[in-house]
Amino acid sequence: MKLTSLLLTLCFSLTVFAQDYHFGKVSKEELQEKFNPLDSSASATYLYKYRKSFYEYVEPSGFRLVTEVHERIKIYNQEGFDYATKTNRLSTSGGSDEEIRNLKAYTYHLVNGKVEETKLSKDGIFKTELSKYTNEYKFTMPDIKPGCIVEYKYRVNSPFIYNVDQFVFQYDIPVKKIQARFEAPEYFTFKESTRGYLSITPKKSSQADKIKLTSRTSIGRSYSEDLNFKKNITEFDLNNVPALKDEPYVNNINNYKSSVKYELSYTKYPDAPIKSYTTSWSDVVNTIYDNSNFGPELNKKGYFEEEIDALISTVSDPIQRTTLIFNYVKNKVKWNGYYGYGTNDGVKKAYKEQVGNVAEINLMLTAMLQHAGLRAYPVLVSTRQHGVPLFPTLEGYNYVVSYVKINDGGMLLDGTSRFSRPNVLPFRTLNWQGRVIAEAGGSTLIDLYPKQTSQNSVFFMASLSENGDLSGGYRSIKKSHKALSFRERYIDVDRDDFIARLENNYGGLEISDYNVKNELDLSKPIVESYKFVKESQADIIGDKMYFSPLFFLKTTDNPFKLSKREFPVDFGYPSKMNSKIVVKIPEGYRIESLPESGGLELPDDLGKFIYQVSGTGNTIQVSVLHEVNSAIINPAYYEALKSYFAQMIEKENEQIVLSRI
Amino acid sequence: MIIKRILNTLFLLVTLFSFSQQNLYTSFSIPDNLKQNANAVVRDDATTIILQSSQSMLVTEKRIVTVLNKEGNDAVNAYMHYDDNVNVKTLEVLVYDNFGKVIKKIKEKDFRDVSAVDGGTLYSDSRVKYLEYTPIKYPYTIEFNSEYETNNTAFINSFFPVTEYFLSVENSSYTLSFPEELVIRKKEKNIEGYKISKDLTSTKIHYSIKNVSGIKPEDYSPNFSDIVPKVMFASKQFSLKGVNSEVENWNEFGTWMYHDLIKSTHDLSEGTIIKIQELVKNEPDNIAKAKKIYQYVQDKVRYISVQVGIGGWQPFNASEVDRLGYGDCKGLTNYTMALLNAVGIESNYSVVFAGDSQRSLEKDFAAMQGNHVILNIPNNDEDIWLECTSQKLPFGFIGDFTDDRDVLVITPEGGKIQHTKKYIPEESLQTIKGICDISNDGSIKAMVNVNSKGIQYDNKYWLETETERDLDVYYKRRWKYINNMSINSMSIENDKNTIELIENINFQAVNYTKKVGERMLVNLNVLNRNTHIPDRYRSRKLPLKINRGFKDVDEVEINLPPDYNIESLPKGQSLETDFGSYTTEISVIDNSKIKYKRTFIINDGEFPKEDYAAFRTFYKEVSKLDNAKVALIKK
Repeated sequence: MKLTSLLLTLCFSLTVFAQDYHFGKVSKEELQEKFNPLDSSASATYLYKYRKSFYEYVEPSGFRLVTEVHERIKIYNQEGFDYATKTNRLSTSGGSDEEIRNLKAYTYHLVNGKVEETKLSKDGIFKTELSKYTNEYKFTMPDIKPGCIVEYKYRVNSPFIYNVDQFVFQYDIPVKKIQARFEAPEYFTFKESTRGYLSITPKKSSQADKIKLTSRTSIGRSYSEDLNFKKNITEFDLNNVPALKDEPYVNNINNYKSSVKYELSYTKYPDAPIKSYTTSWSDVVNTIYDNSNFGPELNKKGYFEEEIDALISTVSDPIQRTTLIFNYVKNKVKWNGYYGYGTNDGVKKAYKEQVGNVAEINLMLTAMLQHAGLRAYPVLVSTRQHGVPLFPTLEGYNYVVSYVKINDGGMLLDGTSRFSRPNVLPFRTLNWQGRVIAEAGGSTLIDLYPKQTSQNSVFFMASLSENGDLSGGYRSIKKSHKALSFRERYIDVDRDDFIARLENNYGGLEISDYNVKNELDLSKPIVESYKFVKESQADIIGDKMYFSPLFFLKTTDNPFKLSKREFPVDFGYPSKMNSKIVVKIPEGYRIESLPESGGLELPDDLGKFIYQVSGTGNTIQVSVLHEVNSAIINPAYYEALKSYFAQMIEKENEQIVLSRI
Repeated sequence: MIIKRILNTLFLLVTLFSFSQQNLYTSFSIPDNLKQNANAVVRDDATTIILQSSQSMLVTEKRIVTVLNKEGNDAVNAYMHYDDNVNVKTLEVLVYDNFGKVIKKIKEKDFRDVSAVDGGTLYSDSRVKYLEYTPIKYPYTIEFNSEYETNNTAFINSFFPVTEYFLSVENSSYTLSFPEELVIRKKEKNIEGYKISKDLTSTKIHYSIKNVSGIKPEDYSPNFSDIVPKVMFASKQFSLKGVNSEVENWNEFGTWMYHDLIKSTHDLSEGTIIKIQELVKNEPDNIAKAKKIYQYVQDKVRYISVQVGIGGWQPFNASEVDRLGYGDCKGLTNYTMALLNAVGIESNYSVVFAGDSQRSLEKDFAAMQGNHVILNIPNNDEDIWLECTSQKLPFGFIGDFTDDRDVLVITPEGGKIQHTKKYIPEESLQTIKGICDISNDGSIKAMVNVNSKGIQYDNKYWLETETERDLDVYYKRRWKYINNMSINSMSIENDKNTIELIENINFQAVNYTKKVGERMLVNLNVLNRNTHIPDRYRSRKLPLKINRGFKDVDEVEINLPPDYNIESLPKGQSLETDFGSYTTEISVIDNSKIKYKRTFIINDGEFPKEDYAAFRTFYKEVSKLDNAKVALIKK
């Protein structure tokens, strides 16, 4: 019996179904499926996902962008119920709106062997005005139970012809079949950019098409004529796309999501000149530069001249000038939290009101530096959250910082962060490469990941008492990004709260004489020091004491828990931790044994760990160095990295044994 | 018209008067005691509410706040919620630098106007206008002026001067005036020890408070609403979305809700009623029937938050939930109630403050309160409570979302306050049984069985539906003090009948023990080490409150490595405190095996602030004893 059913199942799965992807043709087999055979952990699966974007000619306004969507989703269990709600964000601007039309949606169930359907009615559709520029169109499907299938189709009409949404082929649930099609008349030329790990091979073709143009003669008679043209078609057809899952220390999972983006390069209508959008990086740079909220804003100088002239009149050294102007901008204009490489209210208003977005602050900063005779340039940046721009696109960037060339070197500056320093940019901007915009419109790349190692040096002196309690002093010196992140956490926070949290992080440490130096003097490293007491830091068994000499400073948790890794590990910046520890042992005890000194290395000089311990009389000295030399580590090294951390934790845990004299 | 002019003049006089007293628009004039524990200081808040009739209310507020640092920006609270029933008359802000000079004026049109939908809500018809302001320099002062009129008088703003932690209040006043024929009720909370003055007449109520220093949040302390002063108000005669009502106590309130908001929504179709009767016809008693219906609801409908209708207070019709297969808490509770009703089982719609802080409805003050709805089934001494928005919770299990608090139970005869289920420590029991093998090389192999009940069940039942990949990470985190762990097998069983979660996990880890020369140190508590120590306070201000207790019982057999003998064995320990107890028993079997038994109990309760240090010490001791090690020596 069992064997037969097994055989049956086998035959079953060998049979290739001719799936019917027509709307409404949901099969019993699809409804019967209990889990996705290729990923049993999936709570839902796109059985079919279809999208077609094309241009439609409507008189009298001209071309509009139409996107047709058809999705069929299998929901296996309650965890997948979120996929029964679909949310669309629609842009609206100056009286032009994107709109959703022709929505048809059904939920399907298998009831006593028959497919039953429930239609989405009006009361399941919700429209909300989110803000001046965004409307939200949501619908939620009726009658959702584990095992059901939802299917819907609709079209989005958009007046924003240049704004073609990214074609995405990978989601947080698996996709069984995905088809997409993009059609554009020959008048539109697009740049196509692909990202992700899937191999995507678009099929290209072209077709003849025509539109009917209606005109009116001078005496009021209307006549129509056909305009023939060619349209370019790109088609995608993918099967069984696995789900994409997030991992720790991934810069931004969307960087690895397979997708294709179309960006309008130029339009060329019959009998009209070319209107250029973007085609190459220099076009991107030119377009951004020519935009009224970039280049012209950068070139405005009048509003600050007087103050800047006065500020730098007595200083001629370029580094000093840079520092003066950088600090001046940081003190004068506060960041309102908005991103963008283009200004919003303009530099002048930002200067006057002392509030601005990223572009207002950093373009102003660049302009001031230029005014002071420095070779300063704006640098286009894509923040970590925004992803990595691989191909020339206007939307590839969402941020701008400033770069000053001094002699052979240079300094990257970001005036939006209170604690940022030259070449120590806020963490959000540490994302691959930025694009330096030169005077002549050319551009070059600059690495945004810091080269300089961020250091934390710890000095730790303590004495261990007979009952295993530890007391002593801690002092640390933090530089670069370590200092930046400390300042972000420390300043403006209730001091007692901060200390309480620190005590808690170290599992009930008791801190006194807590002191921080240079917290507001950014040119100096942060010096943090305190006295501490921590109970029972040694195991006392018989006449012996056992303890790990790093005490509460040791690493306890390996951040890398998954056994496999597909994406680079991104730490943001290279770092170095250096600890010097001196421990006085209690009277009446002697050192019986010490762990061996030793070290670990990551391949290709990516990092190292050195552990040295020595003891004389009643004093033990330990020195530990842990450095990661690269901001990014390739997934090929993941195994090595994971075991490096595991071995480091082990080494740090090794015990010193004292015995009673 | 004339009245309005007089009012305006009066207002002007008041304003001028306070102006001349001192300059409130700079931080220099803040008394020192108010600067401590404060990120912002309310300099002066004057709220005036004119209840013109039971159908119309005018609310005016002038609020001057000095913000001392970045963390204080939120305390400005310059926003206004509105919907079709609210007519916004004034909304403006003046920003002052620290010299008291106006540096910016922000008008209503410059406020951000957005839908008041939070992440969990699918749709809501209410909107909010809020101030978006980037400070140039701290301190700065904001004057916020607002005025609106509404025909909704079911909610009258409370006098609630201290709105958050780290906020001091220099002066705050509240005036409610009303026609003589309206009966106003009020309730004062936590006002002892504050400088409060009040003036009550037959047409006017006035409260003011002075000089309140900021409060700092502390771990294990009472709910914020049980610490800060508050005076609540309600009018006997009120109107909600055009419907007039009269309510004076919870009984009348319940009658009103039942008859005006709930009753009419029980409109199941004949077909559904027959289907449900058919479904339960073979069940022996009402509880079994109710259980079957609850399961039916859990299988059929899902939770979706939609806030529309009478102030978001009226449930969807039962027929609608039946048809759509979803609803919000009101709709789903009401639907379950209608189904139970169809088979003759009495149940009651119950209003509650949901959340793990166990906030109660005010027992002796009937007014619009609560933010969630659950279902009550009367059952002699121990009523059954149903959480109808969950498709996972077992029948009669409400967990920490609505446990142990006063709620309003609405019956056809009226409303009454009842207390929900409290999970005592013995009920929130976690039992661990484990067998651990230590090998000569120091590695460990463990077979673990964990059984969780009560609130401990609530903390873990969601594991049942986690994916294997996420569970793997979850267990490595639960036992994060074990380095190099690899999990060999995991199985999770959720027994909804007995309300137990049973986890079976096998794992191994190399170098679990610490090897030093001839010796090996083995931590005896492999599976349930306490690493939590409550925060330390240099001077504790708030009472100690433990919301929920629990009990952990662990029994673990540790098989020792064959090449080693026991050199020294820690003793069993026992700690007994008001907050809980801790006992370990350690015994050796056949020289090759150690039996480790541990019982850890935390009791719930409220204690004076002086006890906090002892409570913390108890946890610290437990952490320390959980680190006890046996020393082995090579044979």
